[in-house]
Amino acid sequence: MPYHQFKVSECIPERLHHAVDKGADEDLTDALPLGYLNTIPGTISERGCAYCGAKHVIGTPMKDVIHLSHGPVGCTYDTWQTKRYISDDGNFQLKYTFASDVKESNVVFGAEKMLKKNIIEAFKAFPQIHNMNVYSTCATALIGDDINAVAEDVMAEMPDKKIFVCNSPGFAGPSQSGGHHKINLQFLDQWVGTGEPEIYSKHVINYIGEYNIQGDQEIMRDYFLRMGIQILATFTGNGRFDDLRCIHKAQLNVLECARSAEYICDELRVRYGIPRMDIDGFGFEATADSLRKIGYFFGIEDKAEQIIAEEYARWKPELDWYAARLQGVKMCLWPGGSKLWHWSHMLKTEMGINVVSVYTKFGHQGDMEKGVSRCEPGTLAIDDPNELESVEAMYELKPDLIMTGKRPGEVAKKIRIPYLNVHGYHNGPYKGFEGWVRLARDIYNCVYSPAHSLVHLDISKDEIPTDKGFATRESLSDVNLSDEIKNSTELREYTGDYDPIPRLRKKLEENQYTFPDPVTGEWRQVPLETIKRGKIVDVE
Amino acid sequence: MSCNLKAKDRVGVINPIFTCQPAGAQYVSIGVKDCIGLVHGGQGCVMFVRLTMSQHFKESFELASSSLHEDAAVFGALHRVEQGVDVLLMRYPELKIIPIITTCSTEVIGDDIDGVVIKLQEGLLKTKYPDREIHLIPIHTPSFVGSQISGYDVAVKAFVEHFAKKEAESNGKINLITGWVNPADVTELKALIAEMNVDATVLFEIETFDAPIMPAGNHVGHGETTIADLQGTANAVGTIALNKYEGGKAAKYLQDEFDVPAIIGPTPIGIRNTDTFLANVKKMTGKAIPESLVRKRGIALDAIADVSHMFLTGKKVAIYGNPDLVIGLAEYCIDLEMEPVLLLLGDDNVGYKNDPRIKAMTENVKFDMEVVTNADFWELEDRIKNKGLKLDLILGHSKGRYVAIDNNIPMVRVGYPVYDRAGGFRHPVVGYDGAIWLAEEMANHIFTDMEYKHNKEWVLNVW
Repeated sequence: MPYHQFKVSECIPERLHHAVDKGADEDLTDALPLGYLNTIPGTISERGCAYCGAKHVIGTPMKDVIHLSHGPVGCTYDTWQTKRYISDDGNFQLKYTFASDVKESNVVFGAEKMLKKNIIEAFKAFPQIHNMNVYSTCATALIGDDINAVAEDVMAEMPDKKIFVCNSPGFAGPSQSGGHHKINLQFLDQWVGTGEPEIYSKHVINYIGEYNIQGDQEIMRDYFLRMGIQILATFTGNGRFDDLRCIHKAQLNVLECARSAEYICDELRVRYGIPRMDIDGFGFEATADSLRKIGYFFGIEDKAEQIIAEEYARWKPELDWYAARLQGVKMCLWPGGSKLWHWSHMLKTEMGINVVSVYTKFGHQGDMEKGVSRCEPGTLAIDDPNELESVEAMYELKPDLIMTGKRPGEVAKKIRIPYLNVHGYHNGPYKGFEGWVRLARDIYNCVYSPAHSLVHLDISKDEIPTDKGFATRESLSDVNLSDEIKNSTELREYTGDYDPIPRLRKKLEENQYTFPDPVTGEWRQVPLETIKRGKIVDVE
Repeated sequence: MSCNLKAKDRVGVINPIFTCQPAGAQYVSIGVKDCIGLVHGGQGCVMFVRLTMSQHFKESFELASSSLHEDAAVFGALHRVEQGVDVLLMRYPELKIIPIITTCSTEVIGDDIDGVVIKLQEGLLKTKYPDREIHLIPIHTPSFVGSQISGYDVAVKAFVEHFAKKEAESNGKINLITGWVNPADVTELKALIAEMNVDATVLFEIETFDAPIMPAGNHVGHGETTIADLQGTANAVGTIALNKYEGGKAAKYLQDEFDVPAIIGPTPIGIRNTDTFLANVKKMTGKAIPESLVRKRGIALDAIADVSHMFLTGKKVAIYGNPDLVIGLAEYCIDLEMEPVLLLLGDDNVGYKNDPRIKAMTENVKFDMEVVTNADFWELEDRIKNKGLKLDLILGHSKGRYVAIDNNIPMVRVGYPVYDRAGGFRHPVVGYDGAIWLAEEMANHIFTDMEYKHNKEWVLNVW
C-alpha cells in the first residue's frame, strides 16, 4: 500500500490519497498522490489564493508597471513586501503597490467610477510609468465590476498608457495555481502581438517562468548573453511590459518554471508556432544540460560548452567542498510547486543529500509525477500538506533540515529542525553555477550551525559539557572526513561576493557581450541601449 | 503655526499603512487559549495574515480557512464552514473555541454565519461532540468596512460578549484590555500592576508569543487567555481599556451590560500617560502606588534627562500606524521637546476628529502639525519628495521602510508588523520601561544618523 496514512488525518479519509511513500519497486501508477483538488476546509492548509498566484507570483515581478489591485486594501497589503523579486532598475515593483481601496458604499453602488479615478491618480503620481496591471479580487469580482471597460475608457483618454487587466479573484481555483493559469492566458490575449521588437541577434528567445528571485534571472541572462542570444523578454522577473508585448517574435521559448508558466508557452506554440524548451537552472548538471540544449537548438554548441567549461572551472571546486561535507544529510524538500522536481535529484547527485520527503502546496499531479520519479525509494510525497501532517512528518523523519517557506520554517524551528527559505531564499540567488554553490553554502551553514548544535541539550537534566567556549562549523562537519578531503588544495569554500548581482550588472553596463548579426551572422557588439531597451513599434 | 486634521483627498491607496478587518480579528483569535480562528473566505485572507505574523514574531500561529473556491462563490459556502468546524474539532482535541471570521467575499455573497452557528450547535455539536465544551463565535469583519483596527475592536467585543457571565460576587480583579500590543508590552503592564498588588484579567495574555526552542516537545506560540478569564470579565471591579480603538467597544459593553465601570485610555506611552494609567488603577482598586514604582519612574526620568533637551529637542518626526499608538507616541514626543509634525492614521474612522487627545494637540502645539486620516504612505513620501517636508525621524512599522531608506531619514521601528529589525516584539513601548526604550532608541537612531552623515558626530566624543 503506497499511500501514507497520517495519524492526524485518519479522521479525514479523503486525505489518504494525497500522500505516498515511494516503494522500492513501485512505479508512478502505484504511487502518485492526488493533486490540485479543492482544499478541505479547516485543515490549516498552506495554500494561498488565485489572486496572489496571479498578482503576487507572476504579475508583480514586471518592473515598469503600476500594480493596482481593485478591492479592499488587505489583498494589496498582503502581497506587498512579502517576496524578493528584484529588478535591475530601482525595484519600483518592490517599493510600490496600489489599491483601489473598495469600501462599503462601493460594494453597494459599484466601484467602476472610483476605479477609473484610482487609475488616473496612480498614473499622475508616477508620470514616468506608462503601464499598469489591474488585478480583480474576490470582492470586485463578486459585485461584477467590468474592469476591462474601465481600462479601455482610461486608455482612450490617456493614449500613452497601457493597462493589462487580470481577472483572477482569490476564489478562482483550489490554490494560487489557478491564478498562474489565468494571468498567463489573459496577458497573452490582451497584449502579446501588439509590439514589433528590434531584433539584433540571429538567436532570439523568450525566458519564461523565471521571476528573478534575489537575481536568478540575471545569473541566467549572463549565460544567454554570453552565447550571443537575444532575450526578447523574461516572463516576468525583471521583465519590461513593452518587451512582453513582443514575445510572439521569439524563435524559442525557454521555460524554467513549468508549473507557473507552461500555459503561455503552450499557447505561443499553438498561435505562433514557437517551440517550447523546458530547462532547469538549478544544479550544475541541470544548468549545463540546459545550456547545451539551447546550444544545439541554435547550432552554437561550442558557445555553450565554453561557458560550461569556464563555470565548472570557477565554481565546481567550491560546490565539491560543500558536497564532501553534506553527504548523507537528510532533508525535507517542501517548496511551493516545481522545485520539488527541479531540486530533489540534483541535491542527491551533486551534494549527496538524501531528500526524505517532498511536498507541494499548489503543484498538480504532473509535478508529483516528475517529483516522485526523481526521488529515492522511501521518500514521502505529500500534496497540499497541512500543519499537523507536516509536524507529524518532521517528528517521524527527523530531517537535518527543511527547505520550505518562511512560516512553515518557524514551525520547524520549534521542532529543533533548522530551515532554509526556498521561496525568497536565504542568501540567493540559487540559480546557475554560482547560485547552486550559494545554496550548498547556505545548506552547510544551516546544518552545521554551532548555535543550532545546542538545541538538544537539556541543561536541567543532561551533563553539560564545560570544556568549550565555542565550536566551529568545521568541528561539526569534518568529523568523518578523510584527511585527503580535509587537506585538499583543490576544494575551497565559496569565494564569491555577498551579492553577485552588481558584478553582472556592471558587465552589462560595460557592454561586454557580442551577438551574431541576424542577417550576416557576423559577431559584433550591439549598442547597450538596444540590448536594454530595444525600439518597439506599436502594431494594431 | 497650526494643526489640522484632514482625510487624504485621493480615492486610492499607494502603499497601505493598514490591512483589512479580518487581520485584526485573527490577531485577537491567536491570543486565546484552545482557540483556532476559522476565516470564512479565500485562502489568501489567512495565508498572508499568518505570514505577516510570522514575519513579525518569527513564530507560526494556527489559523484555518474555509477555503472558498468558485462553486462556493456562486452557490454559497456555509457547508464549508460546517466542514471546517468539524475538521478542526476532530483533529485538535484540545480545541474549545472557534471564532468564525468573515471576509469581503463571504459578506458579499451573504453567507449567514450566525445561522450556521445555530445549526451547528443544534446539530453537529450535539450529535458528534455531546460531551465537549465548544464555543462557536460569529465575527463579522467585512474587509470593505473599517480596517484591521476596527476588526480587532469588533473581535475583542465578540469574545467578551460570548463569554462574559455575571456571578454574584466580584472576582476582585480589573480587566486590562491592552489593545494591539507586543508581548513585551504585556510584561511591562503586568509588572506595573503587580507592584500595586492588583490582580488583572489581561486581554490578551500574549507573552507566550515570544516562544522558546525547547529541548523536547513542540512549543507552538499561542496566547493564554482562558475561557474562565473571559467569563470573569463580567465580575471585575472595573475595566481599563488602554486603547480606545482596540478594545474600547468591549469595555463599553461590559459597562452597559454588567455595570463594570470602564476607563477607556489613555494609551500609557510616555511618563505622563503611564502616570495616568497608574492613577486610574489606583482609583479603580483603591490600591496605593508604591515606592518601587516611584523608583522605576525615576529611572525613566533619569534616562530621558540624558537625551531629551540635548539631542531630541526640536527634532521633527512623522508617525504612522495604529491610531492609539500614533497618538500616544505623539504625546510622548511633545513631552520630549520633539515636534511630531505629521501623524498618519490608515483608515477613515470619522471618530478621529473628535478624539480629545487629537483635539488637545490641535489646540496647543506651537509648530505646524498635520493629522491625516485614511492615509497611505504616499501622504508621507509625497510631502518629503515633492512638498518640502523636512524630517529628522520617522516612527512606524516596517511596511514604510523605503520612505526612510530612500530619503535618508532615520526610522525607529514601532508597531506592527516589524520584520526588518530583529526582536522588535521584545521591547515595550508602554509603561516606564517603554518610555526608556523609546527615548533611547530614538536618540541612538539619531546618533547613528549623525555619524553616517558626519553631522556634528564629534559631539558624542565627550557625551
